[in-house]
Amino acid sequence: MLRLDDLSKSYGKTRALSGLNFEVEPGQMFGFVGPNGAGKTTAMRIVIGVLAPDSGSVWWRDSEIDSASRRRIGYMPEERGLYPKMRVSEQLAYLAELHGRSASDATEQTKRWTERLGIADRRDDKVEDLSLGNQQRVQLAAALVHEPDLLILDEPFSGLDPTGVDVLSEVLIAESREREVPVVFSSHQLDLVERLCDAVAIVKDGSLVASGDVEELRRERSGRRWRIELEGDGGWTPSLPGVRRAGDDVYELDDGTDPQALLDEARARGAVKSFTPDSPTLADLFRDVVAEDS
Amino acid sequence: MTGRRAIFLTARRELRERARSRAFIASTVVQVVIVLAIVIVSSLTSGDTESFEVGTVGSGPAGVAEAAEAQQAAFDVELELTAFDDEEEARAAVSDDEVDAVITEDAVLTRPGVSDTLTALVQQASRVVTGSESLSSEGLSDEEIRTALEPKPLEVDEVGEESGGGVAFVSSILLYVAIIGSGYAVATGVVEEKSTRVVEVILSAIKPVHLLAGKVIGIGLLSLGQLLVIVFAGLAAAIPTGALDLPDSTLPTAVLIAVYFVLGYLFYACAFAVTGAVVSRQEDVQSSSGPLTLVLIVAYLVAISAADSPESTLAVAATLIPPLAPMIVPARAAQDALPLGELALSLVLMALATALLLWIAGRVYDRTVLRMGAPMKLRDALRLARRS
Repeated sequence: MLRLDDLSKSYGKTRALSGLNFEVEPGQMFGFVGPNGAGKTTAMRIVIGVLAPDSGSVWWRDSEIDSASRRRIGYMPEERGLYPKMRVSEQLAYLAELHGRSASDATEQTKRWTERLGIADRRDDKVEDLSLGNQQRVQLAAALVHEPDLLILDEPFSGLDPTGVDVLSEVLIAESREREVPVVFSSHQLDLVERLCDAVAIVKDGSLVASGDVEELRRERSGRRWRIELEGDGGWTPSLPGVRRAGDDVYELDDGTDPQALLDEARARGAVKSFTPDSPTLADLFRDVVAEDS
Repeated sequence: MTGRRAIFLTARRELRERARSRAFIASTVVQVVIVLAIVIVSSLTSGDTESFEVGTVGSGPAGVAEAAEAQQAAFDVELELTAFDDEEEARAAVSDDEVDAVITEDAVLTRPGVSDTLTALVQQASRVVTGSESLSSEGLSDEEIRTALEPKPLEVDEVGEESGGGVAFVSSILLYVAIIGSGYAVATGVVEEKSTRVVEVILSAIKPVHLLAGKVIGIGLLSLGQLLVIVFAGLAAAIPTGALDLPDSTLPTAVLIAVYFVLGYLFYACAFAVTGAVVSRQEDVQSSSGPLTLVLIVAYLVAISAADSPESTLAVAATLIPPLAPMIVPARAAQDALPLGELALSLVLMALATALLLWIAGRVYDRTVLRMGAPMKLRDALRLARRS
């Protein structure tokens, strides 16, 4: 289990993290989302140890994280980092060895991951000679090649074509399901996060605004949104207090507002074809919680 | 993983990647070619026994050509004699460059500037022949004549010749090129890792000081290897061709070159690593390492003047100033102008300065290498190093 405990970090006068907390369970696919500048990258850099927090701590398997356990993390930085002039296979083997693998292990895992990620025929090429998509695959292989206990990936999907997204999704799911490796990744592609993740943390301005099981979060928020289809014109604005339109035919109710009162108003306008609770997507949740606090 | 393994892995990477790079191979080849060219040119212009083709006309003055041949070893030349039928033919052969000189009845024919040694040899031979003829007519025995005309030559004791100035000059330039080249490679290597952000991936696995140590050691070993290849290529070509009469101080000088390369390289590599760590983009390295390059150039200029006057106050002072010492000490040693006491003091000061710089550079690097953005002022970087 990975736990971020009350992490704070400032760059000069800018506060990047203020008391961030969350936990990731073994084998969990964990989405880390939030608007630009929310502190996701800062938090990840603190976890892998290239940045020191001003206060707070990171815990891994019941003890504070140290350099030995950090060496067991597979990390993919947001701004990709590889030696441009080094050959793919040598680069991957080098990184595997730096993470404590033996030379023969490193060679074997390099072979395995280049095959798995579809870059086996580019092994002897220099990284700079590959397309951006393939460079991204090498970067991912670099995070996986030492068989990490934990994966921390900053925007791993950005810049991938749909095939690349599928390959990466499969790999990450396999790592979390089969090897019980917790996978923490940040992304702005919320539909993807919703599809892949068991749990999410939504951050804003350096602190957590919502976290937990995606389904639970959606359920918590359902009952607040209702979809009403009327015969004829659907574009009406309810006069009932505590209700606002949240999209075509979708209305969001403040806490304490009775959905039946909304139904009554709708029926007064015309024949109601359907009246159903609308469970929000992650994107809806995201918009809600990010807007709520500001 | 131990720090030693991390250093080994990063040093091995530097060695492998750089040894294979076109830039490294090209610079090695170019330097070897330059050194070989120097050796070959000097072997053509000096050292070897000169050989001349000399013609004789008719009988010539009896015995002159033979006397000249007998003395050729003393003049360090080789003669090859050709007989001509008449003077007309011989004259044409000289002006057509078929022979270097012709000995006639009463003259030596040669072209302007052929060789003073050759004419001196012929004059000497003629003196011996005519002298012995007249002495013989006076009734002296052959033995007496030989004693009178061919006295035991004076022994030549070469005092101060082959001053080692050439070796001093070459050692200064080799050290300058090696230190500035490898130092700059450290600076650009540090920035390459920063600008490509690969440093973040590496430092998620190992400590900054291990990455720096591996880089400095890897590049240093490669440069030392390159230096040795160049020096041995030069020596291998020089010894059989006899191009250089190497002075006795050559071997100690070679050892000092190696010692001061290691110290000087470590000293400057640390400083160059800092100039790399404080910037984030390749194009900023040049300006951040500018002052350091200037120090190196000054050291080089002082070294050249020390090669001219190795006992001047300037040379002595520079020996004791660590950034300047690496290029000056071998230059002075090559000329036997370095008292042992000064060498010892220089070594101590250099080692202390290098140790101090290693410590500072390790700390500055540790605190700046992950920092991105505008170049940092050196003062601010040093302030970071003071913080615990």
